[in-house]
Amino acid sequence: MLKFKTLVVALLALLAVVPAFAQDAVDVKVWIAFTDAGRLGWAQERAAEFNALFPQYNVTVEGYANYEELFAATALAAEQNSLPAIVQYFEVATQDARDSGYFKSIAEALGDRTEVNGQAFNLDDIIGPVAAYYTLDGQFTSMPWNTSSAIWFSNMTILNAAGVDAPPATWDEVEAACEKVMALDSAPEYCFTFPNHGWFFEQWLAQQNAEFANNGNGRDARATEVTFASDAGVAVLAWLDDMAQKGYLYYSGAQGGASWSTVDQAFSSQQVAMTAYSSSDTAVYTQVGVDNGFEVLASFLPYNDDTGWTGNLIGGASLWLVNGLAAEVEDGALTFLAFMTNTENAATWHQTTGYIAIRTSANELLAGEGWFETNPNFSVAADQLATSTVTSATRGAILGAFPAIRNVVTAAVDTVLLTDSAPADVLAQAQADANVILEEYNLLNAE
Amino acid sequence: MDSSLPLLVAVLGAVLGGGLLGWSFRRASQSPALGAGIGAVAGVFGVGLFMAPLNFCTFEADRTTADNVFGVLLIAAGFLLIVLPVRWVALRLAAGQRLIGAQSTPGAFKGTVLPWLFLLPTLTVLVLFLYYPSFDTFRLSTLLARLGTPRTAFVCVNNYTRLIADTSYLNSLVLTLLISAAIVVIGLVLSLTVANFAYQPIKGAKIYRALLVWPYAISPAVAGVIFLILFNPTGGIINYFLGSLFNLKIPWLNDPAFAPWAIILASVWKSMGYNILFYLAGLQNVPNDLLEAAAIDGANALQRFVRIVVPMLSPITFFLVITNMTYAFFDTFGTIDYLTGGGPLSSTTTLMYRIYQVGIRNNDLGKASAESIILFVLVIGLTYLQFRGGERRVSYGA
Repeated sequence: MLKFKTLVVALLALLAVVPAFAQDAVDVKVWIAFTDAGRLGWAQERAAEFNALFPQYNVTVEGYANYEELFAATALAAEQNSLPAIVQYFEVATQDARDSGYFKSIAEALGDRTEVNGQAFNLDDIIGPVAAYYTLDGQFTSMPWNTSSAIWFSNMTILNAAGVDAPPATWDEVEAACEKVMALDSAPEYCFTFPNHGWFFEQWLAQQNAEFANNGNGRDARATEVTFASDAGVAVLAWLDDMAQKGYLYYSGAQGGASWSTVDQAFSSQQVAMTAYSSSDTAVYTQVGVDNGFEVLASFLPYNDDTGWTGNLIGGASLWLVNGLAAEVEDGALTFLAFMTNTENAATWHQTTGYIAIRTSANELLAGEGWFETNPNFSVAADQLATSTVTSATRGAILGAFPAIRNVVTAAVDTVLLTDSAPADVLAQAQADANVILEEYNLLNAE
Repeated sequence: MDSSLPLLVAVLGAVLGGGLLGWSFRRASQSPALGAGIGAVAGVFGVGLFMAPLNFCTFEADRTTADNVFGVLLIAAGFLLIVLPVRWVALRLAAGQRLIGAQSTPGAFKGTVLPWLFLLPTLTVLVLFLYYPSFDTFRLSTLLARLGTPRTAFVCVNNYTRLIADTSYLNSLVLTLLISAAIVVIGLVLSLTVANFAYQPIKGAKIYRALLVWPYAISPAVAGVIFLILFNPTGGIINYFLGSLFNLKIPWLNDPAFAPWAIILASVWKSMGYNILFYLAGLQNVPNDLLEAAAIDGANALQRFVRIVVPMLSPITFFLVITNMTYAFFDTFGTIDYLTGGGPLSSTTTLMYRIYQVGIRNNDLGKASAESIILFVLVIGLTYLQFRGGERRVSYGA
């Protein structure tokens, strides 16, 4: 009986305390597109640290399965006036995010301030290619967080056995390496693979300094047409088709977001010796080799010998500040954005995942600790971006309905790899289909 | 568009509706004038049911022949949708019959208020979450509308007529019918066979039966993941065994010839538990004396099964055909999403999965709405055909 009484008293006390807490702290909701312990967990830990540091705010981080679902959830929340304070949008949804009117640019929200609640933004500290991508019409628009690039992972244990000393740097070198690998007695099933995700086509296009869309890749003015069915685009598909027909390229048949895991599986089970992948998973890929007893080496994404290498583009996502928030919520959101991307956090985020450390100061911090010397795979993506020539092609395309257009591109790659259709015809058709989508998007969104 | 067209169509509707109901009333020995009056009003509403909201846009000058034909079909469909129910109601009322069958069963509610009051919570939920969204789908299907874009544009029936020339849509339609037919036929044949074995009086039969039913309790997504591991072309268990036994490797998920079969097999496995459950229950209702009589007359086990058990189970089979058809159309989504994502070469993009791709992945709400309405009409039509054709062949016993 005594226990029961104690329980009732405790409950009443709790009820009295909880609303008091809730009234004090300003709720700042953050929606991100990760559900894994590594990335969602990291963000939630930062939120907990932040809440302890700034008791006037209560930051909660909610994870969604993928970018597309988060995108849909945001649009629905906007219709119901229940948007959170911060939403993560992937890079190709940048134009959609701008047109939606849901968001306010970081520069505009900051005004003359350089710090909020003592948390400095130091936007000049953000590394060049990243700042270039998210600077639109001369304004810093959204806060970069997870930034990656497409790189190449090689199973050096297999390559060395085949007499290949270094990862291939060009398409011809890939083929030459594959010839040797597949001649091995203990040859893997296939030589290499890649996720059939629109991003890789865009990377190989940018490497050849070819634009994806008109009007300077949508950077000078709103893009009105896609232009990817150029010689450069056809070259990408023709190369992949050639590699598949020679039995070197493994294509899992999965497209878009579903393609990543099929590549993970093929690489970790050593069914392939090499793969293109996102640097976002450098930590996982390096560890897979350690766990399964083979050496994994990361290198730049191989490029077309005929056209040379101009540079690669970034990928990943950025954090958007919702428009029309109450002043105290907006300040809380800005404070958290600055905290989450400060030098220390940018460095640990890089170490946990493999996403690029987006701050020069974070890279210096990591270099000072000797991180890149002991973990060479982790410097590849940043080096690839740092040595890229910035052109309108390598800054990356900004256009409406880009996620839908990506699906058209992956379907074209699918068709080329699985049928006898000529790459040029398939890509021309894809470009026509994509232009219809873009035209309809612009009809609704262009001023 | 000729500005007199709406008037012309309305007059046509009035004449046709008035004529039909006037004639019906005369045959039922009721006043033809009353019937003609009601019919004329219903006819006007009917022809305008779809056309008035669309503002007769299908007949504008720059419209294609396909749009014109579609417009005529819409006028006819609206006419039938309004006039036929009105005819039924008017005839019953004129003959002094009640609309709802006479309620003389003991325990039935006497008044009209109380039963409606009890139905109110369900009706509210249905209206808010089912009927209203369904009607809104019609409106959306005439728009160019994107998720996350506040502005929309009216595009008349383009979202429908563009599908006529879209070969990928027609492929998807044929594919859906083939996959559904395969799931129903293979699923029911296998389920009946397994149920018949599990029904035999053997030791531990109850345990077998329980184990056979549990796949039904697994969500389609989990089934998708299980089969993803089984079917995986490079590291999958099925190919491992096929490889070590017959030196055979089947590209289950990356060859358009095999991927639909992976979906069919996974879906059949998933729905078998449900089917077996119903067949086990049905088998218990097959009278033993019939089987014994047949045995005495010299019928062997196979003959008894084909000639007696299968016909006696026909009501259950009929029910299962409809539930499995609905399952194949709508609930294979999770399995497809996890297993193939609609690929390779769209070989597993069923109509349902396509709607998801267009509406959610590509954010194109208008086109997805139009496609979902076509799927809705298709499923209603198929179910109707099954009821018509099935009823004649189904024996519900004495």
